[in-house]
Order: sequence, then C-alpha cells, then structure tokens
Amino acid sequence: MKAPVDGRLAALRGSGKRLDYNARSLAALENNPRCTLRALLDASGSNKAAIAAHVGHPPAFGQSVFAITRGNAFEAMVKDNGCAELLRVLRETLELTLPEVAYEDLNDVGGNGRSDKRYERTEEVLLRAARGDGEGTLFDHPMLRLLIGGHPAYLEPDLVAFRIDGRFHVMEIKSFPIIDGQADPTQVRAATTQACAYIIALRDLLGRAGIGAEAVSDTIVLVAPKDFTNRPTAAFVDARKQVAALTRQLSRIERIGELVDLLPDDLTFDLYLDEDEQPRRPPEELAETLDQVLKTYRPDCLNHCEMAFYCRSRARAEASLDVLGPVVREQFGGIDTTTMVMGLARGELKPSEDQVEMAAALRHAARLRAELEDLGGAA
Amino acid sequence: MSTLSALAHVQAMESMRAVPLTEFRHRRLSSRPLVIIPLAMAGEAGAPLAAMVGTARRNGTLLVVAQPRNRDQRFAFAAGLGRIVMEYINSFRQDRSGEGERSRYTDTPQILVPNPGGVRTLADLGRMCRFRATTGPYAVPEVVPELGMWLTFLVDRAEQAGSSVLLPVTGMLAEHWATGQSTLENQNLASLMAWIAPPPGLSVEQAMADAENPDVCPPAGPSTSPEFDNRDLAPAIRNFDEASALGDPQALADAESDLRELIAGQIQPTWRMVWQAISLLRSVPEAPRAAKRFESDCRAFTAYSDYQDTGALPQRKRDTAIGAARRLGQLEHALAEFEADMAFDDRFVLADRRSAGEAFAGTVVEAEPGRMVTTDKNSRVPRPLVTVLTEDPLRLAADTKLISPSMPTGHKAKVVSVRRVGGTTRVTVEITGGMGRARVPKQGTVPELGQYVAYLPDPGWRPSPQFPASDATPWTHSAPDGNDTESAVPENTAAEEWGNED
Repeated sequence: MKAPVDGRLAALRGSGKRLDYNARSLAALENNPRCTLRALLDASGSNKAAIAAHVGHPPAFGQSVFAITRGNAFEAMVKDNGCAELLRVLRETLELTLPEVAYEDLNDVGGNGRSDKRYERTEEVLLRAARGDGEGTLFDHPMLRLLIGGHPAYLEPDLVAFRIDGRFHVMEIKSFPIIDGQADPTQVRAATTQACAYIIALRDLLGRAGIGAEAVSDTIVLVAPKDFTNRPTAAFVDARKQVAALTRQLSRIERIGELVDLLPDDLTFDLYLDEDEQPRRPPEELAETLDQVLKTYRPDCLNHCEMAFYCRSRARAEASLDVLGPVVREQFGGIDTTTMVMGLARGELKPSEDQVEMAAALRHAARLRAELEDLGGAA
Repeated sequence: MSTLSALAHVQAMESMRAVPLTEFRHRRLSSRPLVIIPLAMAGEAGAPLAAMVGTARRNGTLLVVAQPRNRDQRFAFAAGLGRIVMEYINSFRQDRSGEGERSRYTDTPQILVPNPGGVRTLADLGRMCRFRATTGPYAVPEVVPELGMWLTFLVDRAEQAGSSVLLPVTGMLAEHWATGQSTLENQNLASLMAWIAPPPGLSVEQAMADAENPDVCPPAGPSTSPEFDNRDLAPAIRNFDEASALGDPQALADAESDLRELIAGQIQPTWRMVWQAISLLRSVPEAPRAAKRFESDCRAFTAYSDYQDTGALPQRKRDTAIGAARRLGQLEHALAEFEADMAFDDRFVLADRRSAGEAFAGTVVEAEPGRMVTTDKNSRVPRPLVTVLTEDPLRLAADTKLISPSMPTGHKAKVVSVRRVGGTTRVTVEITGGMGRARVPKQGTVPELGQYVAYLPDPGWRPSPQFPASDATPWTHSAPDGNDTESAVPENTAAEEWGNED
C-alpha cells in the first residue's frame, strides 16, 4: 500500500527537490488540516512558493534581515559559554534545581551536516541519556525525525534539556519579547506548534527503543528576551492541547493515500524545471491542475500558507463566502457562495429543505436592509 | 455578528464596493486630532524606527532613529516624540468649566493611529518610557517618563468601549463600512480604503491589488516591509554606522538625510491616507449620544490630568486583584452602554440587533392602556399592556427589561410573554416607566393601537461593585511575595536596560 502512494506523491512533485515540513507548513497543517491541496502539496514535498509564483500569485513571506539578525544574535547569546545565560534563567526564573550540567552540541557530526547522520547521532546520544549512562543535560540542535504520511521530515529543536524533573523538555528560543510576563499570544502559539512537533518526534524516537511517552514532558520551556532588554527570561508553556491536536492531525495524514486515490492518474504539480531550475510548464496548465484539487481557503491562510494568494483569487472568482472569513461564513451555515446568499435573500432562489430556516432569516435581514436604504438587497 | 451585518458584507462583495453598516459615526472626531504613525524595527522588542506626527495633513513632523539599536538614539527619539505629544496634550489642560468636584476640562486630546498595531506600539512605548528615571546613571529627559505615563493612560482608556481618546483609523472605518473582504484584510488601511474610496481612475480590484504591493502602498506599520528592510533600509543603516565610525561629519549628515528620505518615502503614503480617511469619516454625521461618551472621556482626562499635576506615579506593570476586577466591571458596563447607545441612536444598528433577535420592532395590535396594578407598598399604579406584532426572530425571555428608541425618553417596559404564530411573533410588554407621576399616564407615553414601536434590552444601571480595602484583601487574592509585584515602581527602574548598545 505504501509504495504506490509514495510513487504517486513523487509523481505529484515531479522534477523538483523534495521539501520537508517546516515550521510554516506545520502551522498550516494545524490551522487548516482539512485543505486537500495543502495536504497534497506538503505530503509530496512540492515547492509551494515556486508553484504559487508560477501561477502569478507569489507569496509575501519575506523575512526582514533585522529579524533574522536579532533572532540569531539572541540565540547565540543565550547559548554562549555552554549556555551560561540559559542556566541562570532556568535556575533563577524557573527556580529549577539542575544537577551538574553537561552540554552537548549536536549541530554536526564530525563535520558532517547531513540530516540522516545527525539524526543517528542524536538518537544514540539521547537514548544513552534516557537510559542513564550519558553525560548530557542540554542538547544543542539535536536532529529529530518525524514521520509525516510515511515520510521522514527532519526537525531541529533549538535545544532539548534533560533532567528537569527527570524528563526531557523541549526548549524554544525566540526573539519576541516577554513583557511583564506576557508575550504576544499568536507568536506564543506559533512557537508552541513548532515545539509540539519536536515533542512528538522525540517521543517517537524514544518509543522505538521502548521508552514511554512520559519521558518527554508536555510542557515546553520558552526562552525569550525579558521586557525590552537583550537578557533572556523563560516561561513554561503547557502544550498538552496542541500536542493532542497535532497528533490527531498527523494521524490523518497517514491516510493521504485516500486523497491521492481521488486524483486523476496523470495529475502532477511538476513545474518541469530545466537545467537552470526555471519552470518550463505553461502557467495556465499548472493552474488548471491546481483547480482540479479541492482547497479550503480561509483568510487566516494568508499568515502561513504560500498558496494563500492563489486560493484567495480562486475563492473570489467563485464568489465563495470563504473570502469573508469564518465570522461571516458561520452566519450562513450550509451556503457556499454570495450568489446563493443573495438569491435566497431576494427570494429568487428556492431554498432546499435544510435551507428553509436560513432563507427566512436572510429574507428578514434583506427586508430590514431595504427599509434602511434602497440597496437592491431585497425583493 | 448578525445575519444583517453578514449580509452587508456579502452585498459589498457582490457589488464590489463598501456598504454602510451604520447611519452615524459613533466615535467623536476631534477638530484637532493628533495623528501618529509609528514604525518599529522588525525583530527588535519594540525598537522605534520612526514616527510621523502632527495635527494637520500639512504639518507632519518626521522623527527618525538612524540606528534603532542605539540606546541614546532611542531616548532622543522618545524625547522628541514626547515633546510633540506633551505640547499637544497640555494644550487641552487649559480651559476648565464647572466648580469644585464637577470642575473639568472642556475638551480632550485625541490620538489617531493607522491600525491596531499602532495602538500596541504606543502601548509598548508607554511601557518602555514610564519607569525611566530622570536622575542617576541612566537618566533621561523629564518628558520621557511623562510621555510614558500619558501613553499608558490613553492606551488603557482606549480599551473602554465608546472612548475616543485613542483610536485606530481602520477600526473607525470598519465600524461604519462593510467591505467584501475579511477582518484580517480590513486591518490593512490601504486595503480597507481601496473598498471605501479607491484612488481616482482605479477599480476596487486594482486598488486592492495595489494595497498589497509594498512598492505601491508601503505597509502602514508598525513593521516595514521585509523587502524594503533588506533592499533599502539595511544598507542605509550600514552607511550611517560606517559614517559615524569614521567620524566624518559630512558623510554622517549625508547618510542621515538618505535614511530620512527613505523612511519618508515609506511613511508619507500612509500619512496622506490617514488624513484622507479622517476627512471621509468627517463626512459621516456624528451620533447624538457620542456627546455623552465625550463627557465621560473629559471626566477621565481631567481626573488623570489632576493626578499628574499632583505628582503621579507610573502605572503598575500588572493590576492588583481588586484593580483588575474593578476595571473589568467598568469595561463590561461601558460595552453594554455603548451597544445600547448605538442601537438607540442608529436605525442601522437597531436593525442589526433585530436581525440577531436581540431587539424587535412592529405595530401595536392590542392595547390595555388603562390597566392598573397594586404595588407591594399598596399603591395603585398604571401598568399598561401592549402587544406588538413583529416579524423579527426574537430571542428575548419574559421579564427582560426594555427601552425604546421610538418612545419618549425615560420610557421603560418589560417583556410579559412571547408567542410565535407562524412566521410572526406577538410580544406582550408591560409599560413600567416614563409615564409621569399621575395615576393616568401622560399623553404619548403609552404606545397606541396601530403605532410602530421598537424595543431593545435595557443595559440598566449597575451599582459599582464594592471591594475590600487593599489591606483587607483575603490571601487568595493578594499578590504573592515577589520581586516587583509589591510596589508600583520596580526597584531596578534606573538600571532596566532599553536595548543594548551593540
């Protein structure tokens, strides 16, 4: 069963290099698990940004050099001198009693930066620690592996700490500030989603060696600048709910085969790259292919999915209520388009059986609106 | 959201133009608002990059921080902005009316920012500045903590529904116009304006596309576009750093003016657009009850101003339990009042509440105007009953207290029964107040047969809740012994860094 699905996914991607899941695609997975187009593009490792750009809707996810510099500088500062600053924060702010601390850098293995080699090394080191015969307490940039839809995705947490209350803890080092004990909730949520993937991957690694899930804590340690300074502070973030949610969504991807089976056999998102990595596929043809796949656009996608501008243009063209976002959409349960809403409101369309109540509310609202001013909204 | 507002958004999307959601502008617009467009450096913790500030389209002042990571330059910026903001605020601390307890300033400052991000940036700036010490090792000009305290006051006050001392322009526009795009996109000033007033010669579609293109419409802040950062800003800041390292005054002046020019190019389109939005909003008539809320703003402004005059302490970092409970109560009350006020003033908002089943209107089909009841105190009072026939999808329970925008002031009623018959509803209400003191209701105070009436729930008067004194707070609600939870001002005030030199 697996092999043909893998083959199909590879064919969907085509000539391009396979891309792994990253923080953004994991966020997209968590926020919009039901979108088939996203699921297929991510599962096949297609280059969403290149595809979206080729059909005329390039994503706008530039990252400012200032943000990158600041992020790197902060992480480096926290980890300087064997994580001296970090240890101070763990001991002072979180009031942890850490035993003798040993620090292990897993950034590369004997000069080899390949993901699979680093993963093997990480596995060896972490298992040794878990069994109690390792030295390490803090593991810098371990390489973890998460099977998503049967495919390994390599993930790299900033830091994993061992022996905080006898358990592994995932640490996220972020450069957004914690001001007076509070941080921007959207950013905390994004950081937590990322950390959840690490927790699941870490449990998977240990689980295969017969070590139970309780060895990895559901609580993550968020390390971020305190107030407006460059000095770090830390906070525990309870990630139980998000770990459960992500686990559930990952289990759904296991069934990606069912989605693939619904596609025509020759369908592919291949850009037909030439030697210079330039797409040779006619954009119209690619767009037609994309249109054959179901997508679930939500305005929220603009924050995390490369395909969002393309999907929005399609939703607009179809006069889909998705364009207006869930708040408006919820008011019209079971109706998909503005044409349908206006038709029912004007009494030009006959409501189906489950639309009767909605249609009555709509006609009432349209009458009220017509009373207010002549907008042509009522019959 | 009600079916009616949702329908308005659908209409906007279908007709590709903004549709009015209200009859009135429910926010007061000062004749002399102070517009601030703050820009911050990406990735840094609230590091100001620039601000454009002024009370008229033609006299905007541009303040630029050449190296946002430099602490001294940040404070120079805060002091520069502080002087402008304080001069503006102080101009409202002149004219007072009333005597003694009732004495208050007759007008309040009003700060307008482009979007909710602008409010957050001012909140951060307020938090950064208000604890700064004006003496000692990290001394800052006096205006810096003063600016911090005032910004914090304005941001806190802005959380109260109906207040107009600090408002994001996008919020004001979206309150009055429904667009065919999502709430998220409505927070982009240029996208929102594309729907309401596209530039001459452009369709809404074209204007929307331009609005999302940072080269045509630079973002309204607080963040600048990443492309701009990488392509223009980073090299310009590097030039400035090199020039200041070399100590060449000419090169430094050149680098500084280059930077100013770059940032001006990013901020001026937004500046013009904010003023355009303000004149659009001025063309919408102000709601009658906005005056009442303005009174409340004047009271709050006067109270805070007087506190400042008697040597204010900066606002604490976190509320105490009692302070938080009291504040929450006030916010809830203000919200209920604001919603009722809007429905009272505005046919559109009333229709909106009707479509959501929270209000109703219709004609009186039965009336018992002479009904009298005996109260607990054994007096006979008029309690007329009227039955209203309405098509509204009413969701009000019996005994709900009602007020009516279509009856004389002071009219009060309560729901007695609600009966659905087919597609219509018959609501019987008892008139309980606003009929005068006589045994016979005054002329016109009781709805008559065939009269059209509208009712909505009475937000009611609520007594301010009583809380124990701070030394009598039970241990469950008192602050734990902590580093800086005890006093309003943290001990390390002066030493608290605001970014590093590097």
